[in-house]
Amino acid sequence: MSRAVLELQGLNKSFGALHATRDLSFCVNAGEIHALIGPNGAGKTTLIQQIYGALKPDTGHVLLNGKDITSLPVPGRVRAGIGRSFQISNVLMDFTVLENGIIAEQARLGQSFRFLRPAFDDPDLIVGARKILARVGLDDRADQRVGDLAHGERRMLELALALATAPQLLLLDEPMAGAGPEESQRMSQIIETLRGKLAILLIEHDMDAVFRLADRITVLVEGAVIASGTADEISNSAAVQTAYLGSE
Amino acid sequence: MSAIRDFIGLVGDGVKANQTLWLLVFGFALFPIFTHFADLPFWNDVAMRIMLLGMAAMGLNLVLGYGGMVSFGHAAFIGIGAYCVGISQFYGISNGWAHLGFSIVPCGLAGLVIGYLALRTSGIYFIMITLAFAQMLFFLFVSLEAYGGDDGMSIDRGEFGFIDLYDPLRLYFLIWCALALVSLALMFIVRSRFGVTLRAIKSNESRIEAMGLSPLRFKMVGYVISAVICGIAGTLFASWQEYVSPDIMHWTRSGELMIIIILGGLATLAGPLLGAIVFLLLEESLPMLLGAVAPAYAENWMIIFGPLLIMVVLFGRGGLTGIIDRLSGTRGNADHKAGPR
Repeated sequence: MSRAVLELQGLNKSFGALHATRDLSFCVNAGEIHALIGPNGAGKTTLIQQIYGALKPDTGHVLLNGKDITSLPVPGRVRAGIGRSFQISNVLMDFTVLENGIIAEQARLGQSFRFLRPAFDDPDLIVGARKILARVGLDDRADQRVGDLAHGERRMLELALALATAPQLLLLDEPMAGAGPEESQRMSQIIETLRGKLAILLIEHDMDAVFRLADRITVLVEGAVIASGTADEISNSAAVQTAYLGSE
Repeated sequence: MSAIRDFIGLVGDGVKANQTLWLLVFGFALFPIFTHFADLPFWNDVAMRIMLLGMAAMGLNLVLGYGGMVSFGHAAFIGIGAYCVGISQFYGISNGWAHLGFSIVPCGLAGLVIGYLALRTSGIYFIMITLAFAQMLFFLFVSLEAYGGDDGMSIDRGEFGFIDLYDPLRLYFLIWCALALVSLALMFIVRSRFGVTLRAIKSNESRIEAMGLSPLRFKMVGYVISAVICGIAGTLFASWQEYVSPDIMHWTRSGELMIIIILGGLATLAGPLLGAIVFLLLEESLPMLLGAVAPAYAENWMIIFGPLLIMVVLFGRGGLTGIIDRLSGTRGNADHKAGPR
């Protein structure tokens, strides 16, 4: 059994009468791509928000590498080793691609509280930023304004920014959403290159991509885990069939 | 030695990238020569007022333009700076350097407290809370009878050692030096790693959090810096008008600063200074012009002023610096600006 990077212990979260997360526990192991699937409204994004720190669970614990991070706010969790891409591309729209990389690089270095030297002219930051961009093949688009990028390129940039902090756990919230077939393929290829290097928790509606990429799959229905296992185990599970396809 | 050369190189690069700003600043340095030979000493006084309000607007622009925090209470920091002069003189401290020291610390502290409480909110709530704090301080000084209450207190100009402020030119150049130093400091800050992060927070706060940075800390530091700059402007303002009353921190002055920034160009270094020049020149000249054309309406010069402002905001995207950039075909003023280019 490989080591768990992320461990969720008995998470519960309610919004009024809506019980969005029910006594939820599972692990994401080091180096694995772990997909989280479930019908709309199953509570996938609510769960991601609790792992990321944007929402606090009512009860239960979130452990990263065995350390309880339940009370850490978002920036603290990022520094502890969680990276994230959002459902809707979340990048710095008013800046160029390179400037996005530079801001990520200085944040990575923990050197954002400096007041003298111009950041965008700093040769060291530019070198670091280009490395961040090269990981997703955006280094040749460095001088483009992000507002002028195609949708797929923005998703790539967001992935690059999420990887910049060298996370041990990467949360990908529907990375293929709104992407064309070619862009989806490109995103799949890049996620494939990350396999084994860090743990990935992937939320995705594109089932072809999920079954192609995921080492393990957890199925969420109405806030609770109904099944967890390899792709084969999940596709043969009667409970999943019922939840997803409806009972005959 | 090499550190000094390095610094001079940085200043040179910055000046090259912000030519409009430094043209204006050096214009102010030469202006007294013009007024001397044209025999218009009154205009020195106007220029000092422009520099003081321009300086305060530059300070506010750090949070309003670069940081996207619409503070509607920055007149409070001008007022605190001004009252620091009045109150220290009340207790017999007449040294101008001491006044500056006594104003920087309280303004920084006030900025820290108000910023800490107000920055937990955003949007319209932030505007209202900053206004509320400014109004609280306004009425606090109205109620302090010992310091003149509503009527304020008249004060002597601070003593800056060899710089005798009753010599109008020395007062002028003390204010000019403060303006130049504030311009220099802001030029470094907005292009620095801190400034870049502040602008990124304005653009997308949640991405900055996702990079592991806490936006509140950056906003707080920006808020305190801007409060201190307004405080310095207020200290000199008090010395300049030899009088301080709650009027100096009336909420309309906060609005005036915002209008000056928007008129000149948000998130540009030259914008607030250019805005202050145009704003105050119109304020001085419109009543005269209107008085010549239609004397009965001279008092109603705002009828022309208001629509003029609206025209600049509506049609001159990016304010006056935006218009200059478009005319000169460069984007020199917006070079270090986050926003539509």
